Amino acid sequence: MTKVKEKIGRAVFAVSAGICILAVVAIFVFLLAKSAPAFAKIGVFNFVFGDTWLPSSSDSYNAPLSGEYGVFTMIVGTLATTVGALAFGGVLGYFTAVFLVFFCPNGLKKVLSSAIGVLAGIPSVVYGFFGVQFLLPILALFAPNNGAGLLATSLVLGLMILPTVVSLSKTSLESVPRAYYEGAVAMGATHTQAVFKTVVPAARSGIVASLVLGVGRALGETMAVVMIAGNSATYPSGLFGSFRVLTANIVLEMGYAGEVQEGALVATGVVLLVFVLLVNILFSLLSARAVKRAVKKTKNKKSRPRVGMRIRDFFGNLAYRMKSSSIGKGTAIFSGTFTALTLVCIVGFVLIKGLPHVTPHFLFGKFVFGSENITIFTSIVTTLMAIALSLAVAVPLGVMTAIFLHEYTAKENLFVRIVRGAIDILGGVPSIVYGLFGLITFVRLFGGTSSILAGGLTVSVMLLPTIVRSTEESLRAVSDSLREGSYALGAGKLRTVFKIVLPSALGGILSAIVLAMGRVVSESAPFLYTAGSVIWAMPTSYADNGATLAVAMYRLAGEGWHTNEAYATAVVLVGIVLILNLLAGFVAKKLQKKWNGEKR
Amino acid sequence: MKEKKEEIFGQDIRVKNANLWYGDFHALKGVSMEIPARAVTAFIGPSGCGKSTFLKCFNRMNDLVSGCKITGEFRIGETDIYDKTTDINALRKSVGMVFQKPNPFPMSVYDNIAYGPRTFGIRKRAELDEIVESSLRASATWEELKDRLHDSATGLSGGQQQRLCIARALAVQPKIILMDEPTSALDPISTGKIEELCEELKKDTTIVVVTHNMQQATRISDKTGFFLLGELVEYGDTEEIFSSPKDERTERYITGRFG
Ligand SMILES: Nc1ncnc2c1ncn2[C@@H]1O[C@H](COP(=O)(O)OP(=O)(O)OP(=O)(O)O)[C@@H](O)[C@H]1O
Ligand SMILES: [Mg+2]
Repeated sequence: MTKVKEKIGRAVFAVSAGICILAVVAIFVFLLAKSAPAFAKIGVFNFVFGDTWLPSSSDSYNAPLSGEYGVFTMIVGTLATTVGALAFGGVLGYFTAVFLVFFCPNGLKKVLSSAIGVLAGIPSVVYGFFGVQFLLPILALFAPNNGAGLLATSLVLGLMILPTVVSLSKTSLESVPRAYYEGAVAMGATHTQAVFKTVVPAARSGIVASLVLGVGRALGETMAVVMIAGNSATYPSGLFGSFRVLTANIVLEMGYAGEVQEGALVATGVVLLVFVLLVNILFSLLSARAVKRAVKKTKNKKSRPRVGMRIRDFFGNLAYRMKSSSIGKGTAIFSGTFTALTLVCIVGFVLIKGLPHVTPHFLFGKFVFGSENITIFTSIVTTLMAIALSLAVAVPLGVMTAIFLHEYTAKENLFVRIVRGAIDILGGVPSIVYGLFGLITFVRLFGGTSSILAGGLTVSVMLLPTIVRSTEESLRAVSDSLREGSYALGAGKLRTVFKIVLPSALGGILSAIVLAMGRVVSESAPFLYTAGSVIWAMPTSYADNGATLAVAMYRLAGEGWHTNEAYATAVVLVGIVLILNLLAGFVAKKLQKKWNGEKR
Repeated sequence: MKEKKEEIFGQDIRVKNANLWYGDFHALKGVSMEIPARAVTAFIGPSGCGKSTFLKCFNRMNDLVSGCKITGEFRIGETDIYDKTTDINALRKSVGMVFQKPNPFPMSVYDNIAYGPRTFGIRKRAELDEIVESSLRASATWEELKDRLHDSATGLSGGQQQRLCIARALAVQPKIILMDEPTSALDPISTGKIEELCEELKKDTTIVVVTHNMQQATRISDKTGFFLLGELVEYGDTEEIFSSPKDERTERYITGRFG
């Protein structure tokens, strides 16, 4: 009886894990199937290396093409702005991480770390809007145009990848054995020298991995870039001047694409996906190496003389290097301050401009079609519906997959490796590609029109990897001695998992769920063509379409004459993200305390 | 149904030619041993010699370790516990275990003790109340904890936690209790209490205890086995082992000359 139950349990968990694989397969199959005719018609070479994009919405697969479909300008544009983002955000992020770990007073460290968490949660439409309203006018002072172009996108994208770079670099800096630092100081190096000459080099591969992950993020970013790149399908020319990135191509034209054009847009997504996957493979290779190195290093830790010798090597030319160290320290402190100020600037700017327009009527009033008196109540409802649906799908699946991975697989067999690979891939797929996927699967499935149902399902796939990973992380934190205690009493696997392990991991899992809510709120690219962008109609069921808050904000910001409402929506979005971030931290801490022995 | 399961397992343990590998590492080498019922048997030996490993064979906790391979015969009473038909959960119910570090579950004292009985289907509040009280009494903790039954168990002192863990093990009425260095994390007073408890418990149960403390072994055990590098070097009455060891290595160990 119990044996059967255990078997069924295991099977259910394995099936959830299998669904993750299925999701990846489905994404590839559908994108390839949809783009294959376009690739065939246009020619892969012409498509990738052609530098004219002049689509014709009347082109069809059984007639000669009248438009031109080459995305090379956009590939160049994407790569150029990624490099720019890396030069700005990567460097800033790296030095900010060094600042946080080594030069930051403890109290400030906590505040700044969570502030960077907030920076990660701010919706990309808000970044874009900030770019349009704050950055472009400043740049326009120096620019021949309105400021749009490579410089603007690089700066904004740089800010967006900053949190990724900071948090990963920080982790790898913190995992350098303390003995390194102490050894260097014991040899007479100053704090700054020890940091830059001994600790930072030891964390190098982890830092590089963080930059690569940042690149992945920059490649796939959509809405913010769309708002400030100018978007003409030309090569970027210098720091200013309109250009288009791959993601923008999809967002801009998907709404009214003809047959071949639609195929070509999906093909654009495929090209983007290829880039992102390459970057992700690079990332796994690098982080595998970082882990290997770390292991080697802890082994070396016992043989101190070795470390000592290395330090002596450094010591030989320390006098020469001292100068660059103090420059490093200065840069670190500057970067930390700059990052903090930027956050204050973005949030402050949005609040000051938007708060006066956040009125009860704006939030909860009824929106009459055609009226200038805009309200976002329908979007609030749509967003809540989307959150409920996507969590209802993603949380059980994700948690069960994590349980399967962590509790049921002692050995890394082939199936487990494939599941992990699938989750890594899902984690790397850009949100606009999820949007494309949702459009050609769920939207088609439900009759060809967008609906909150289609949008919610699309986003649930997108949430899966985050939930799996953070749940696994929380499961890992549960002491094995508790599991042993339960087994030793004759409890089976299921009982142990549900009564002992999951309750102990609850804090981590709940805070992951709260952060996932934030993700649903802030994403716009995957919703735009799956859930729709109608603001005025109140959804009455999941079959209706509707704009989530972030999509509404994109619409309001884009139309130009609803700027105040866009600011107000931005305030709402940032407010929600802030609250959810605080809540996540609170939930984790509270439950942790409870389980770690607070008296009732 | 319940009666029948209790019949399955006796109380004495007989091991013939046990070998155990963790991957390629040969951790137990041809160990044979007969552990008598209703007595305290101690395992001693230097760190890493395989005491815990051997102990965990009796409730099949090693099954949880991937890459662990076990050969040989392990019998409790007449039952071959590594037989394919053995119900592992029932086995673990009969063979309780107390760990080196107290590992109370992050729930109330009451729920900790009720965890085992609930696992085996006891749901009635009155019945559970009774089990909780008798288990706590049996582990000499009732007076201390009777007013804190609904406090979190992780808030107790180390000694209280360990006795709670013993109570938790007792709550499913095991025939055998395995203790892996149960007092090594505790102060002398708590240690004394647990040693007294062993004396009390061995009236109905078989106790196997791993210890690094020679005095403890002489104080509480009837039989002692000395392990070295995965082998059982010497095994016999505790008095004899400590007064006139037959093997030179045993003598060197108990007189503190290596380990
Ligand atoms: N899960 C495992 N995987 C691999 N090797 C293990 C595992 N558990 C124990 N070992 C190894 O088996 C040997 C015996 O370990 P065991 O824990 O049984 O020793 P012990 O006698 O209990 O030592 P101690 O007194 O330190 O608790 C050791 O060399 C140990 O490294
Ligand atoms: Mg041990």
